[in-house]
Amino acid sequence: MKPLAWFPLPFLLLAAAAPDFVLDLPALLLGARLGLDGAGRLFLGFSALLWLLAAHYAAGYLREDPARGRFMGLFCLTGLGNLLLPLTLDAASFYLAFAVMTFAAYGLVVHTASHEALRAGRIYLIMALLGEMLLLTALWRLAQTAPSLLVADLAAAARLDPAACALLAAGFGVKTGLPLLHMWLPLAHPVAPTPASAVLSGAIIKAGVLGWLRFLPLGAAALPDLGWTLTGLGLAAAFLGVAIGLAQSAAKTVLAYSSVSQMGLISVGVGVGLAHPELWPALAPAVGVQVVHHGLAKGALFLGVGLPAGRWTLAGLALPALALAGAPLTSGALAKSALKAPLPEYLGLMLAVAAGASTLLMLRLLWLLRARPRAERADARMTLSWAGALIAVAGAPVWLSPLLPELPPPAPWSAAWPVLAGLAVAAALFRYPAPIPGIPPGDVLAWLEPGLTRLWRALLRGVSWPDRLAAGGKADGTPRPGP
Amino acid sequence: MTANEALPLGVLASSLIPGLIIFALPEARVGLRTALNLFGAFAKLVLVGVLLAGVAAGEDYGFRHSVLPGLDLVFKADALALLFGALSTLLWLFTTLYAIGYLEGSPHRSRFFGFFSLCVTATMGIAMAGNLFTFFVFYELLTLATFPLVVHRGTPQAMRGGMVYLAYTLGGGAVLLTGIVWLHGLTGSADFAHGGYLAVLGGEHAMQLQMIFLLLIAGVGVKAAIVPLHGWLPQAMVAPAPVSALLHAVAVVKAGAFGVVRVVYEVYGVEFAQSLDLLTPLALAAAVTIVWGSLRALAQEDLKKRLAFSTVSQVSYIILGVALFGPLGTVGGLVHLVHQGVMKITLFFCAGNYAETLGIHKIGELDGAGRRMPLTTVAFTVAALGMMGAPATAGFISKWHLGLGALEAGMDWAVWVLIASSLLNAAYFLPILHRVWFTPRARAWPAERIPARGRLETGWLLLLPTLATAAMILVAGLLAGADWGPLAWAKRITVWEYR
Repeated sequence: MKPLAWFPLPFLLLAAAAPDFVLDLPALLLGARLGLDGAGRLFLGFSALLWLLAAHYAAGYLREDPARGRFMGLFCLTGLGNLLLPLTLDAASFYLAFAVMTFAAYGLVVHTASHEALRAGRIYLIMALLGEMLLLTALWRLAQTAPSLLVADLAAAARLDPAACALLAAGFGVKTGLPLLHMWLPLAHPVAPTPASAVLSGAIIKAGVLGWLRFLPLGAAALPDLGWTLTGLGLAAAFLGVAIGLAQSAAKTVLAYSSVSQMGLISVGVGVGLAHPELWPALAPAVGVQVVHHGLAKGALFLGVGLPAGRWTLAGLALPALALAGAPLTSGALAKSALKAPLPEYLGLMLAVAAGASTLLMLRLLWLLRARPRAERADARMTLSWAGALIAVAGAPVWLSPLLPELPPPAPWSAAWPVLAGLAVAAALFRYPAPIPGIPPGDVLAWLEPGLTRLWRALLRGVSWPDRLAAGGKADGTPRPGP
Repeated sequence: MTANEALPLGVLASSLIPGLIIFALPEARVGLRTALNLFGAFAKLVLVGVLLAGVAAGEDYGFRHSVLPGLDLVFKADALALLFGALSTLLWLFTTLYAIGYLEGSPHRSRFFGFFSLCVTATMGIAMAGNLFTFFVFYELLTLATFPLVVHRGTPQAMRGGMVYLAYTLGGGAVLLTGIVWLHGLTGSADFAHGGYLAVLGGEHAMQLQMIFLLLIAGVGVKAAIVPLHGWLPQAMVAPAPVSALLHAVAVVKAGAFGVVRVVYEVYGVEFAQSLDLLTPLALAAAVTIVWGSLRALAQEDLKKRLAFSTVSQVSYIILGVALFGPLGTVGGLVHLVHQGVMKITLFFCAGNYAETLGIHKIGELDGAGRRMPLTTVAFTVAALGMMGAPATAGFISKWHLGLGALEAGMDWAVWVLIASSLLNAAYFLPILHRVWFTPRARAWPAERIPARGRLETGWLLLLPTLATAAMILVAGLLAGADWGPLAWAKRITVWEYR
């Protein structure tokens, strides 16, 4: 188990020290190409760091779990898929890495085998499968005209195929939690063991963003319909994620909805980039910074939530919470100002409002954690991993700012006012508490699920009809009429 | 007789002669029987290996014997024959090993292995048949050789299943014969040819040729289990596990699907069949079978029955690929001929392992089987994911080419069929995978017959073939781009069929 927890280290070293490379393996799959490029390095770097921390955290978190062997095996398999993904430069190996990550993660979601975990696992799997099918259909379409299965060739083919682009946006949108494709997210995050939640929210949902960046013709073709749809969905996610998150009473569910909201900002960036290819050169690094920032901050938040509550834990959690809210000097402020700069003014303003709302959500989180009973003593591996995550969050502005050389240093006020506004609203709500409507995790799923379940049962009854016909005589004890 | 004529006959003899000797052996001669079985299996493997290398280098292998004037028995070991032949030979070796372990100590083994060898002889005859007459002879021989295997246990249930099997397959044979005779009246005796041999008849016999096509496809469609001719397959699952493996992967349904391939590509020719509007109805029949088989699989509680309906669905992937007019669909169909065999045989080996070791027959009894039998369950997982078309497995390579072929042929609706089938495959396989890996065992096993000894969860003869075929699924999926292997071979054949 001990050496297993180090599996992300080679990937981290690869991202940190290896030069860009391309490796063709024609016999593998349908002709594989592996390699490291700029986007790949960014995704590989923060994901590997997060997986490394979460793996050690898991070793402590599950130290008394009899099924920890199975968990660690699937954890490593999920991580392997997630970390190979940025290195794949052809469709077949990309799809393979994506699928390994997706399906192995099922084992992490259902690990506790509680009723909630099994339901979350079911929903996760159904939505993941739908996503896979959307992707496969898109790839089939693109491969008709592309000269090869290299990602670059498929993305070039996507310029002329808006339908395939929509399939890609939706297929990867299941991972990134686009509204109505997000239902698995607030169910799966809370039931998974904490280290798994950290990588789910920190790294795995980012794989969907990598998919968008790799396959969509960003900066090469204008797709205004799809672009503005994605932008609208992103804005909806940004605000509704906060609104529904505020109505949650479990800390990890609050964090899951915060992820939906933060991923919405990325959808806005990608959506505007699709509609306005000329803005993409400025948006691309901003999206990258938002991905890394959210990955590290959300990872640190989840890892902290799994630790015994206490003054120090709360104080430590304040750092990634402030970063997510976009407080000055944090990676969040950097990401927001980078994202805002190329956007039209009204969108920039909406992002600032979303940041203020995020402040409110983070306060809700800390408020929920305050009341938690003290758990047993934390394992040293857990505390150390969490400390590592906090250091990464604190240092993120330093190592992310070289990605944005043209960005003027953010004015402290523009980052501070949404946070202060959020604090003010929170204070007002504290003084004059309003009743919070109860919204079940998974929101719209609560309406959809009973109908869909009934439909499925009816289908099962229907297709077992010939069997019942054959067994009919025996089943109810009456002999069948003779010939 | 030259070596190139003798080799195809040697392939037949390598299982026929051991089979005939085994019939005569007394029950107690276990060692000799096993030696004969394995000698035959390995000899056939070597001979087929020689043929593969020869065909790859451009050699022609064939044998012709005139039965009556104008009626020839023709064997031809071409690339298409070897695609099926190599699959059957390889899987026969594993099935033989498995059967030796499975039937250890049970009665009537000489009879069983005798018919087992005849069955594979018939399959190789079907693979190498060079004209419809030869195909028909071995197709019927296969029916007769498999019947005693299906009813091997002799229970009333087995006899009932066997009678259903016989009724369907003999009926199919009669329909096939009608089609062959009718066609013979039109063209005389003609050999299978790349691109078909009927195009010369032109459009004037279109009506007759369409009727004949229907008869031929209905005839082979019984064995290929095309809906509504599939009723025998779920009934025949009463047979012992190695026989199910044989029926579902090596011989019977595969012979039917292979018959469809020969009829479409080498009797009619794919382009002529398209010009007669025969391919779209065939694709529709395949699509209905794919979806209906999957839906019916969903309703089954018995593991082998669910696998049987899964076969109904999966074999029609081959037929769908054949019916998609275009090289990519052909590649997908041909490569699935191999892939489906390897995946389904693994699943039946696993089902046999669960039944023999722990007495598990129902899906509901599989809780926690992964902990007790991890290797079998890993093999089952790989094969089930393969059936769903998950990447890294052979199934993905098939599905990928079929989807490309559907779009290439302008039959976009077939993509929906593939998507629906993938989702349904997930719906009936993933709950099993959840059970074996994640549901803890609450009760004792139904009937634990083989105790675990150290790392060995069951008999090694049951385990070894299972793991070998599971590994083949991954190799075919991961190294699909290699210039050997099923995909490369299917591409080679496709080039010839669309000259």
